[in-house]
Amino acid sequence: MISNKAKKQIDAWVVKYPEGHQSSAVMEALKLVQAENDNRLTPDTIQAVADYLDMPGIAAAEVATFYENYNHKPVGKHTIRFCHNISCMLNGSDELITYLENKLGVKTGEVTKDGLINVKKVECLGACVGAPMFQIGDQYYENLTADKIDEIVDGLK
Amino acid sequence: MADIEIEIDGNIVNAKAGEMLIAVTDREGISVPRFCYHKKLSIAANCRMCLVDVEGAPKPQPACSTPIADGMKIHTQNEKAKASQKAVMEFLLINHPLDCPICDQGGECELQDVAMDYGSDVSRFTEGKRIVVDSDIGALIQTDMTRCIHCTRCVRFGVEIAGIMEMGGTGRGEDMKIEPFLSEGIQSELSGNMIDVCPVGALTSKPFRYELRSWQMNAVSNIARHDLVGSNIYTQTYKGKVKRIVAKDNDSVNETWISDRDRFSYEGLSHVNRLLTPQIKVEGTWKEVEWNVALDFAIRGLANNVFNTHQSDKLGALASNTATLEEFYLLQKILREVGSENIDHRLNVKDLDHAISLESNIKLAGLEGIDHALVIGSNLRLEQPMISHRLRKANLSGASIDVINAMAFDFNYRLNSENIISPSQTAATLAGVLKSVLQNTNIEVPDYLAQIEVSDITTQLAEKLSQSDNSVIVLGEHIINNPQASSIANLVGEIAQYSNSTTLNVSATANSMAANMAGFVPGKDGLDVNAMLTADLKAYILLDVYPQYDFHHSIQAVEALSNDDTFVISLNSFKDDIVSEYSDVLLPIASFYETSGSHVNIEGKIQSFAAAVNAPSDAKPAWKVLKVLADLLELPGFHYADSAQVTSEVMHQSHKQHTHDESIDVKVKRDVNIIWQKSPYAVDVLSRHAASLQATKIGQINSASMNKATAKKLEVAQNDEYLGVPVDINEAVSNNCVFVNANHSTEAQS
Ligand code: SF4
Ligand code: FES
Ligand code: FES
Repeated sequence: MISNKAKKQIDAWVVKYPEGHQSSAVMEALKLVQAENDNRLTPDTIQAVADYLDMPGIAAAEVATFYENYNHKPVGKHTIRFCHNISCMLNGSDELITYLENKLGVKTGEVTKDGLINVKKVECLGACVGAPMFQIGDQYYENLTADKIDEIVDGLK
Repeated sequence: MADIEIEIDGNIVNAKAGEMLIAVTDREGISVPRFCYHKKLSIAANCRMCLVDVEGAPKPQPACSTPIADGMKIHTQNEKAKASQKAVMEFLLINHPLDCPICDQGGECELQDVAMDYGSDVSRFTEGKRIVVDSDIGALIQTDMTRCIHCTRCVRFGVEIAGIMEMGGTGRGEDMKIEPFLSEGIQSELSGNMIDVCPVGALTSKPFRYELRSWQMNAVSNIARHDLVGSNIYTQTYKGKVKRIVAKDNDSVNETWISDRDRFSYEGLSHVNRLLTPQIKVEGTWKEVEWNVALDFAIRGLANNVFNTHQSDKLGALASNTATLEEFYLLQKILREVGSENIDHRLNVKDLDHAISLESNIKLAGLEGIDHALVIGSNLRLEQPMISHRLRKANLSGASIDVINAMAFDFNYRLNSENIISPSQTAATLAGVLKSVLQNTNIEVPDYLAQIEVSDITTQLAEKLSQSDNSVIVLGEHIINNPQASSIANLVGEIAQYSNSTTLNVSATANSMAANMAGFVPGKDGLDVNAMLTADLKAYILLDVYPQYDFHHSIQAVEALSNDDTFVISLNSFKDDIVSEYSDVLLPIASFYETSGSHVNIEGKIQSFAAAVNAPSDAKPAWKVLKVLADLLELPGFHYADSAQVTSEVMHQSHKQHTHDESIDVKVKRDVNIIWQKSPYAVDVLSRHAASLQATKIGQINSASMNKATAKKLEVAQNDEYLGVPVDINEAVSNNCVFVNANHSTEAQS
């Protein structure tokens, strides 16, 4: 479930922490394992990470469910991580999320039929100055409007 | 830590610098509301209910995580404090369902109590509340997680006390849930304590669900008799029935915790298998009769079979290890008065010529202060949960723990070394340790150790013991039927002496310390249990004995007891087919919590208890039955008005320990060894009848574990039966060893 390559990379993280604190590498380990398993985590993969780092499964699950970076459902080729935290919310993120959902014909958490896009609500991404905003891949898109969303989303391949 | 003065609500209070404020207010009887704080758990400071006003601090401070400093002025009741507490209360109630009328915690709920003081009578919250879908976490704990206030006490309990993190907080914000992972159910042997620590009705007792309100019950202090600790408990009763058991604080015994076995075994009390009326066997058929008829019948049987023919030495008495101190004492007194010393409680020991004799000389609380332990032959966690918990505490504060076992078990602490050694090599290994210890201290090595080889393992084990200032050697139950049991115990004694270690003998269980104290052991001219079984005795008095569970030589025992001209008087709390087969009189006796008496724990501490409820129907406390039996036999010295008089008589007697084998045999034998043990929830008749306990993972443990090589030798395969128990091929078992954990009655043990 965890490739040898990923294990090597996890090991490289483990040595950065004091001995006996290998579980500190859990975030990176989850990220690596997620990346090589269709970009999502399952109870089995979480348990595998926990076993590898000699920590309780539930402790790894706490981390895996706390951060938005981890996916627990199937995802599309692109994940639109839409901030719905306070600044964005005050600037209309809720309406825009509904707009996006209607446009794509899916709810947050679902993947478009062509497998291209899914929308995920996330907490503050630290870009409140440009609220409302979302993130696709490594790119932030700020000061969103319906028009801007059309443009960005239509350009996704 | 220095003594300092602080001011709380205008009063000067002395305290130690660095103590948490809440510890001080608790000691002073000043009430500060709290949810997440628990005196035995780490500080989380996540509920914020304990906010108080500290002069000079800009914001209110949580009392549970504010260390005090000299001259601090604290207000727990002023406007600022009250306002903060009320605000937090309102906040906590936003997502709480307020379903007290249908909640089992109602009446003993910390949230309910605190809300009475700090809550508002009208809610300003009109939005929808969150709902949490429950998962089934096993037979013991009922969850209603919508009520959870995320205090994380249960999570911290798992991590810190139970030693396995089972509950956790997943998700975040409004979506946060407290739940176990993979919902396999909670596995810990201490899990029931989560019910006690949960301040709300999120975690409640499953067997007790919807039974009663806490205020409807009487709480009677009591002592749990399932292990060597004698945990302090409250038996909560209603209309003469034990309805629930909760922990009672006693720092020198069980702190605030109890094992699941202690908490849930009470269910067995109302099992349909309870023996309710005296019965006599007339011409092969059982007849229910009045007590006096049954007792007369018993006395006549004894007269016919032993007294009239002057064969008192043909009478034997055997008792299970769960009897009370007083019961042990009275039964042995009867026997000795009529002239028999055939008395024994060590029914599960295969070879009493090589029985273990080793004194424990460390206190339970003292276990926390050790810096090293060597555990030999024990799955301590499941056998003696509270003792294991103390060792775990020591381990967490730095003590190292070495283990010598025949099988690898799941310890919930980090072991310094785990040595899986075949039972036939245990003695030789310990001899090696002794030799290393002696060599370390430059003491001459006696002859019998000359041939013994010192290995890296024995040197390391020895060094640890010798170098530690405060080490303990724990001798466990798996050793009792080792062919070299007495040698092993003697070696442990020697090692302890020369390495300056203390010893803890957990090889005999339940209330067996009381049996020894009461002199419930064969006298000089008496026979031990195994000798009785072959001596063709003419009569027996048996105290709550269930042969197929209790005897090592169960087949032989049943045969001996079934002998046509053997008259058997059985005092039992539960019905049992085999017991009915061989008995001539069945006298129904009280079970746990239905009788007064005493438990003697591993420290030798006598803990007396009163009956919480009456025994059902015609059943009577065994001490009373024995007293009447003695009266009918016209024996002197049985004028007891209550069990306490018996207790004080025992305390004024001193019974010498049975003599023991002092030789030490260290040869390695090559045959297959069987370690036979009742599974953790089958140790006594009450636990065996407690349905919820039996439904847990631990309750289902029932296997004859052996590794592939041994299985091949014995010609068995996975799921075959071996000694009536399913075979489990498991490489965790040492070579040449079968580790049997049986949860039901079985054919034979050897
Ligand atoms: S279940 Fe109870 S103990 Fe656990 S976090 Fe919730 S309220 Fe606290
Ligand atoms: S609230 Fe949306 S980026 Fe901060
Ligand atoms: S008790 Fe202090 S914050 Fe919870």
